[in-house]
Amino acid sequence: MKNSIPTTKMSRGGVVGKAMLKIGVSHSKGVVKRAFMSKEKKEESQKETHAEIAKVIIESLGTLKGISVKIAQQVALGLPFLPQEYLDEISKSFNSIPPINKALIRKIIKQELGNYPQGVFESFESEAFGAASLGQVHLATIKGEKLAVKVQYPGIAKSIDSDLGVLKFALTRFAKGGNIDHLMDEVEARLNEEVDYEIEAENTEYFYNNLKHDLIVIPKIMRELSTKTVLTSSFLEGDGFEEFLAKNPTQEERNHYAQLIFDSFFMGLYHMQMIHADPNPGNFIFMDEGKLGLIDFGCVKKLDNEFLASFSKLHVSLMDKVDDSEVTQQYADLKMIDKDSPEKMLEFYQEVIKPLDRIYIEIFEGDSYDFKENNDFSERGFNTIMEVQKKSITAVHNMNEDYIFVDRTLLGYYSMFEKMEATIDTRFAQKLVRY
Amino acid sequence: MKVSQSAKEKTKVKILESAVELMTIKGYKNASLREIAKEAGVSNPTIYNYFPNKEKILYAYIEQKLIETGQVLKEIEDFHTYTLREQLQTLIETQLEFYLEDREFVTQIMSMALTPSMGAMELIYESKEKFTEMVSEMLDIAIEAEEIAEPPFKEYMPQLFWDYNVAVVAYWIKDDSEMFENTTQFIDNSMGVIEALLHSNILQKTSDLGMFMFKTHMLSSLQKFSTKQSGFNKIKRKLGEVFNEK
Ligand SMILES: Nc1ncnc2c1ncn2[C@@H]1O[C@H](COP(=O)(O)OP(=O)(O)OP(=O)(O)O)[C@@H](O)[C@H]1O
Ligand SMILES: [Mg+2]
Repeated sequence: MKNSIPTTKMSRGGVVGKAMLKIGVSHSKGVVKRAFMSKEKKEESQKETHAEIAKVIIESLGTLKGISVKIAQQVALGLPFLPQEYLDEISKSFNSIPPINKALIRKIIKQELGNYPQGVFESFESEAFGAASLGQVHLATIKGEKLAVKVQYPGIAKSIDSDLGVLKFALTRFAKGGNIDHLMDEVEARLNEEVDYEIEAENTEYFYNNLKHDLIVIPKIMRELSTKTVLTSSFLEGDGFEEFLAKNPTQEERNHYAQLIFDSFFMGLYHMQMIHADPNPGNFIFMDEGKLGLIDFGCVKKLDNEFLASFSKLHVSLMDKVDDSEVTQQYADLKMIDKDSPEKMLEFYQEVIKPLDRIYIEIFEGDSYDFKENNDFSERGFNTIMEVQKKSITAVHNMNEDYIFVDRTLLGYYSMFEKMEATIDTRFAQKLVRY
Repeated sequence: MKVSQSAKEKTKVKILESAVELMTIKGYKNASLREIAKEAGVSNPTIYNYFPNKEKILYAYIEQKLIETGQVLKEIEDFHTYTLREQLQTLIETQLEFYLEDREFVTQIMSMALTPSMGAMELIYESKEKFTEMVSEMLDIAIEAEEIAEPPFKEYMPQLFWDYNVAVVAYWIKDDSEMFENTTQFIDNSMGVIEALLHSNILQKTSDLGMFMFKTHMLSSLQKFSTKQSGFNKIKRKLGEVFNEK
């Protein structure tokens, strides 16, 4: 059974063990090779080793499948210092859950909702129309109303632990910068939430009830038809991201939707203290009449007042270009820089963080930002990360997970805006930051 | 007095239900036909008329569940749009769904089947006809619709699939995962293998190899579930017969 998802402890343990063995080999080979090399060559070879290791990890995650896809996404979202080689391999492994066929979908619906699909819904399309990372989405109707029924592949929740085991082992040894425990804990918590559709239902309802905007549509959850592994909500009719772009929208349309996405983020952050932290283009539906559908609240992030206050203060300082020592202190307050002597802290800021936040804050420097003109935004960001990576100082300090999630999400949006070649008006966001 | 077919059917189901209930509570051995008759509200001679001995009840139970499974499948409007694999998988899953209601009882049947002295394995195999009929029909349709090419040993396929079915039930009996998730995965994954085999030309080219793979797959699955080697041997012998018939 080559394609099985091994979930029993023993068989998963077996796969995990195999992966670890492989990583060990690959790593020590690299170390030995490097010991005899010149400096430039060393770098080259390190890259090779990283790529090799990344491949092994992802391969083994590939056989574990299930939750791994989600882990990969989470890690990509949460680990800004992860070498690109890892991210590349990780993104390759997306969408690899086995399909749920007609026999299985019947069984799951009956098990979860108490009857076969024909008995529960007026109509139910047994071919899925959408791929979810842990399952698939089916179109159904009740009383003529269209519904999206997201169904999770069975047995995924219990595979989280062992998958994280592999990843943790791999990352602690090979990701730059020692301690990633806190981040792994965060990832684990996130995953446990994401596999539980009841939590997603709650989050969706929270947004549905609180995000007040005439042009933003959030699906209505059908509670009686939802469980931990089945989520039924109203179907939002419209185009996906690629479809939207393929239709050659006008500049105005591009700006309009990008603006909605950008503003809804800041509304969530400041009005609801919760953000939709999954900046995957598949989570937006471009609807008629200028409406934007927001779906998939599996990955949200709650933020508290204390965080918002330091986050805002830091942004204001960056926008107003206050001096570096002040900014350094604020990063330290946010726990992004470890406490140390003022000189050491300042050095860390200037060497590691500043090159990145200079690019990042560009968005907020004027009233608007044109991603068509600045279509190298993510590339510059990426290159800067690579530069920073090379510095010996990157032995990464603590990281504030909230801060990283917020930033990562924004960066995800920016790369969408780049593809949309949109101009966004940042005044509303700035006003909120300066509240 | 002439008893109509449907009344007869009703009585049979009634007796079966009572038997399942009593055997679940008291165990197969300790439940007598007399008591079952009492529970079902039929006279002693009547019950002997339907079931001359207790083993026949097991046989009839399995067959009854297959009849009900067949009815469920008939009610699936778009069943004709299912692939062969989906049809077979639905058959297995639906049957299991019925067993779920009587899980303790089915556990007893299985454990007797795996205990050499009981001879229940023979009974289980005797009751397979209904099952193999359904599988044959699905296969014939798939071949006719050119979904798969005709396998060289087509007539053995339903029997092999029945063996697989027994393995699945055995697996499910031992499954202690939540909502029997492991069984769900086991079925989905192994059906994937079966589907791949049916579609590959391995079966066309070298039917012996195909047979070999099926057999190995079946045997290794079964080995896991049998606690006693002798019980396993019994199945093996049974499987051997299937293979040797060829
Ligand atoms: N209510 C809905 N209306 C319309 N389309 C939907 C709806 N819900 C889901 N979809 C479609 O199904 C796809 C997957 O759904 P969703 O994003 O919720 O899954 P997911 O498991 O959270 O996936 P991921 O985490 O990879 O984004 C979406 O990209 C979208 O195309
Ligand atoms: Mg999504």
